[in-house]
This record gives sequence, C-alpha cells and structure tokens, in this order.
Amino acid sequence: MPLVDFNKSDALSVGVELELQLVNLSDFDLTAASPDLLHLLAKRPFPGNVTPEITQSMIEICTDVQTTHEGILQQLLAIRDTLVHAADVLNIGICGGGTHPFQKWTDRKIFSKPRFEQVSALYGYLAKQFTIFGQHVHIGCTSGDDALFLLHALNRYVPHFIALSASSPYVQGGDTLFNSARLNSVYAFPLSGRAPYLLNWDEFAHGYFSKMEKTGVVKSMKDFYWDIRPKPEYGTIELRVCDTPLNVERAAALAAYLQVLCAYLLERREPPPEEDDYLVYNYNRFQACRFGFDGVTVHPKTYANTVLREDILASLNRLKSHATKLGAEAALTHLSEVARTGNDAQYLRQQYQESGSPEGMVHSAIHMFRDRRRRTRWVAM
Amino acid sequence: MTEFSMNISQMAWPCVIAAAWLLGDIVNRSLHLPRISVYALTGFALVNLFPAYLSPLDNHSLVLLANIAFGLMLFEFAYRINVRWLSLNPWIAITGLVEAGATFATVYCVALWYGSTQLMSLLLAALAMSSSPAAIIRVINEQRSSGQVSERILHLTAINTVLAVFVFKLILVYWTMQTPGDFLKASAQSLNVMLVACASVLVGTVFGILLPTILRWRGKQAQDATLGFAFAVILLVALTHASNLSPVLATLSFGLVARHRRISLGRTQRNFGILGELLAVVLFVFAASTLAWTQVRAGLMLGSLLLVMRLGSKIVVTTLLAPASGISMRKGLLSGLGLAPVSVFLILNLEQTNSLGIATTNEWYALFAMTLILEIAGPILTHLALYLAKETPEEQEQ
Repeated sequence: MPLVDFNKSDALSVGVELELQLVNLSDFDLTAASPDLLHLLAKRPFPGNVTPEITQSMIEICTDVQTTHEGILQQLLAIRDTLVHAADVLNIGICGGGTHPFQKWTDRKIFSKPRFEQVSALYGYLAKQFTIFGQHVHIGCTSGDDALFLLHALNRYVPHFIALSASSPYVQGGDTLFNSARLNSVYAFPLSGRAPYLLNWDEFAHGYFSKMEKTGVVKSMKDFYWDIRPKPEYGTIELRVCDTPLNVERAAALAAYLQVLCAYLLERREPPPEEDDYLVYNYNRFQACRFGFDGVTVHPKTYANTVLREDILASLNRLKSHATKLGAEAALTHLSEVARTGNDAQYLRQQYQESGSPEGMVHSAIHMFRDRRRRTRWVAM
Repeated sequence: MTEFSMNISQMAWPCVIAAAWLLGDIVNRSLHLPRISVYALTGFALVNLFPAYLSPLDNHSLVLLANIAFGLMLFEFAYRINVRWLSLNPWIAITGLVEAGATFATVYCVALWYGSTQLMSLLLAALAMSSSPAAIIRVINEQRSSGQVSERILHLTAINTVLAVFVFKLILVYWTMQTPGDFLKASAQSLNVMLVACASVLVGTVFGILLPTILRWRGKQAQDATLGFAFAVILLVALTHASNLSPVLATLSFGLVARHRRISLGRTQRNFGILGELLAVVLFVFAASTLAWTQVRAGLMLGSLLLVMRLGSKIVVTTLLAPASGISMRKGLLSGLGLAPVSVFLILNLEQTNSLGIATTNEWYALFAMTLILEIAGPILTHLALYLAKETPEEQEQ
C-alpha cells in the first residue's frame, strides 16, 4: 500500500505520548495489568487517550493536540491523576523510567492484538526485550518538505533530548553504566537508527518508501524504528529518542523544548542540514546515552568538541526569545535546572545507593510519578 | 563383614515425600495440574494404605517441618497483602466481609438443617469461611500469575482467614460461657485468648521491625535477604510453639510489618527458592496425611453439600460486587472460584486446638471430607480461575 499523503497540520502544534510501567506493589516487578487497567479506565472519560502496548505490563497514554507548554502540562497532569486513581483501585503502581531496572524479559506476556503478535513472531525475544518505555513527541508541520527538513535539522540536537530525558541506567538487575540503556534495545531492530537523508517529500514517499515496500521489508511507516520519523497521517514528525521521564512535568518541558527548537530551526538561520552531518551522529548519540550530560559531542559542521551539558545550556539560552513567544519559559528554566543538577538516571542511581536495592529505585519512581514535589518516603503502598 | 539391616519405618516418610514430589512433577508436566494437589493426594493415599508405618502426628520432626513450611508461606502471603489498598478501594474489604459473612450464614443454615447441633454448625461455619493462604500463594507463585484475580484472591483470603480464626475462637468462648457455672472459667479463657492473640501479633511485629533493620545495617540486602527472612520465620515458629503463642498470627504480622518496612524479596527468591519448594512438599503431604479415610467417608455427604454451598456463596458475592470494586463480573466470578482451597486443619493443628472433645461426631467428619476434597480440588480450581482470567504466563498460549 503506497504511503498516504502528508496531512498538513498546524505548524508547531504538539502531541505527547508516554509509555508507562505497570508495577506490582509487593515485589516491584512489572505486572501484566494493562487489560485490567484499560477495562477500568474505559468506564469513565479519559483526558487524552490511553492504549495497550506490546506487553501487558505497559500502557501508552497520549495528549490531544496542544499548542502551548501550559496546555501540554495541564493535560498530562490530568492524565496522571486519572491513572494514579485507577491504579489505586487496582493495587498497582504506575511509573516512568526508560527501563524497569530488574524485570526479566522471559516473564513478559505479549498483549493479544494482531500487530503485536506479528511483531513477536517476526522478532522473537527482541519483541519481549522491547519492554522499554519511551516518550514520543509529535510536532505539527505544514508540509512534508518542512517535516523532512526538521527531521534532519534536528540531528545535532538529538543528544540533548537523550541526556535530558535519560532514565534507564539499570537493565535486567545490573547497572549498565549508561544513562539511557533503553536506546540500545531499540538499536537491535534492523530498521532503527536515522532516517535516510532525503529532504523532498515526493522523493521520500514515491522513491524511498515505494522501493522499500517493494522489497517486502516494510508495509507501513510503523515498521521503521528511527530516532525521528515522519508521521504523514498526522502531519507531524515524531521524536522517539526520549526515555519516559519519572514525572509528567519533565515530559511536558521536553515537549516544549522541541517545539521551541523547531520554531527556531524553521527560521532557517542555522546552516542547512546535509548528509555529512550524520558522520558524527552515532558517536554523539552514544556519548549522550553512555555519559549523559558529561558526554562530549562533536559539532557536525565545525567538528568542535563540547561537553553536552554546556551545549544544552547554551542552546536553552539561545532559545529564550522563542520560548517567550511560545509561552515556554518555565519549561526551559526547568530543563536548565536539570542540566545543572542531574537527570533522572542520576536520581535513580542515588535511590539505589540510599535504599540498597533495585526495588528501592522502582519504589521512588512510583512516588516521583505521583507527585514530584513529594519526597520519597519508605511507606507502605 | 558388617551385617546389613534396615528399619523400614524410618525410611517410610522420606519415601512418601520423595514419591509425592516425583508424582507431582510428572502430573504437572503432563496434565498441567498444580503440584500441591498431587502432594496431598499422595500423602492421603499412602498414609491410609500403610497406617502402620506412617503416623504423621507422632512424627515430631515432620510436624516441626510442616510448621516451618506453613510459617514461610504465611509470611510470604502476608508480605503480598497491601493494607493501604483496603482503604483506597474499600470495596475489597467490603467484598471480603460480605463473602465471609455469606459463607458463614449459608454453611450454618445447611449444617443446622442437616441435623448438626448449634455449636457444631457454628464451628463448621466459622472454619468454612477461610480459604487456604498456603495453597493460594503456592498456586499463584507456581503459575507466576499476575492480575486482578490473583490480587483479589490473596486479599480476600487474608480477610476471610483472619475472620475465621477470630470467629472460631469467639464461638469457643461463647460455648464455654453457655456452660452453667463456668462463667469465671470462660472469662479467664477469653482473656487468655485475647492475650495470646496480642502477644503473637506483638512478637511478629517485633520481628518485622528488627529484621529489616538488621539487614539494612548489614548493607546491600538484595542478594541475601531471603535467607535472613527464612531464618527469622523458623525462629519465630519455634518461639511461638515454645511459648504457646499463635504461629499463624505471628508469621502473618511479621510478613505485614516487613512489607511496611519495605525490604523486598527478589524475584528469584519467591517461595523462598529451593528451600520453599522442598518444604512445600512436606507441608501438603502432611496436611492431607492427617485425614483418615474412615472419617472422610463418614462425613462425605454433608462435607460435599457444605463444599458446594461454601463455594457458591463466595462466587455469588464476589461476582455481584465485582463492578463496584473495579473489575468485570467475569473476573469477580473467577475471584470467587479461586477462593476454593480450604486450610482448616492446618489452622486447627497449628492453633493447637485439637483437643476440643468434639472431634468424634459425623458432622465434624464433614470437615475432614471437605478438607480432603479441597486439598486436592482447591488448587486445581484456583489454577483454573487464574487460567481463565488469562493471568498465567503464556506457556498455554504458545
């Protein structure tokens, strides 16, 4: 089936998707609770939308189309409160974090839905070890060409989003020494990484996609696990590199940062993207995943080495006027603070030190999701 | 050359336990039935076939091992109970109370109608309320099930077990008070019951506070917390027996308090690992081996009747209250079905209330029959409920 036309949407409109963990409150392992939770949530109106994910211990929520940071934040808070209430009724915990620190992929159950079953049949254990949790941000574009321009112009900023959202330091019970180990799981898929360097929508849709379709390797855009991919049916590009943060406030701030950044890039004041930008792409991406804010990235145009923290702070500073126009100052202030004080991966490692067990990390993540202002206490749940 | 001789009676119990394990494993692999049902069936059959060699209650090491196994399971069971959930979703507690109340009323009426005395009917009704914490935690862990039916079975069992112990003791006090001239004795007895209960809870609570503190003081507990908890449970069971306290209440409060102190058992240490697996064989073989065929046969009629009424009342209540508590009626029905296992004799033995002087009537034997049927069929029904609720892993799907 040929690729659908690129539906135009309002420039810089935003939508946020969050994949969340469902946790057993006794042993803090993942629990196959999504059928029960979705059944309960279906009884009342839900702010935004909630859907099952590939394994039964995950759910995905998404906001409606928003235009401001405040709009995103308020809807995410409303979704969070609805989820927390439903989770309380069912005695389960809900939390963010890019990976569950000690779940075993062999224990996971595939949600009964044809697409998930096909993916599971094709990818084997990769599907189950895909029990990882990401934040996806959609940015509305007025044309397919604008979408592809943004997709490639953002390449140098992808490490920013990885480091700011990183919340997956532990996998299968061990410290990976990464800030975001989640992206290593995505990399195992054959159609992951970066999108091909094409800036014209017709070339992309009728050239690249058609050829790929003829090979029989892909059937739809869903088969690509790229870091950023176009979503023609929504008229958006979708940034997929973020781990799900531990609280919705951070998720809203990351979405607002992307919105502001896209507004800035669309002014086309920066040198245009080119194929050679990707020479340093994987290296920069690795630095952000492994070292977080301490990673050293290479500028794709000047080849200058910069510590990621400095690069992020400089970028946030540069975007102040754009943030003011879009009402996103609070979001950028929040992220500057994160860059200075540490991301969720650092917080989780600290929780491991304090509690002495990986279960302690999950426990604090559940509290962080409920309300980030509330200090984690060792109380019964 | 040393002369070879063998005392067969000394070999009897190890052989029974090994045979039960082997049969359990074979049946589990071939028919996917819960192992503990086979353990119970093996124990009952062999003890009744060879009563001369196998007398479970005279074997003190076996009784102690069974007690420890029960203690470990009760601890782990209580560790899964979230008291806060009962306040966040009061319908769970309401379902538990109504379900236990309905079971009590139904069984009491049926027993009276069958011709039992009032006291006997009350005692039967009280014991029929409870589901088996040991069987339920075993089936849930063995199947690695998770979901609302699993959670609800656990919490409803906690409520009905505590209620059963409490009501059973109240009835005994009430019965003593009814006896003319024994008011003083009855008052002393009720005071004693209360003191024992409080002391047992207190001891369990102290363990629940002390142990996590010690483990935390030792540093990282993820690797070795299980062994620490296992030793603490063994110590607690020994202590309660030595001081005539209630091991049931003590291990339950230990588990509850330990949960609140938030030290988690790692996933791999569920069921206390290999130690738990081993002791489970002993416990379920022992539990069924205390039942004699002649007694079971004498109480079969009433026992079967009570069993149907008991399970029926539980299912009706959990189904009707399911929507209010946040799940579908189908899952409510399956929660009721999952409550099938019964553990009255374990409670009776461990609570050391065997010498009641009422344990020789046909009505009392109904309890024997009900227990035997549910020792075998109960875990199968719980397994079935979890399977139908799609809460067991996907071995079945593949």
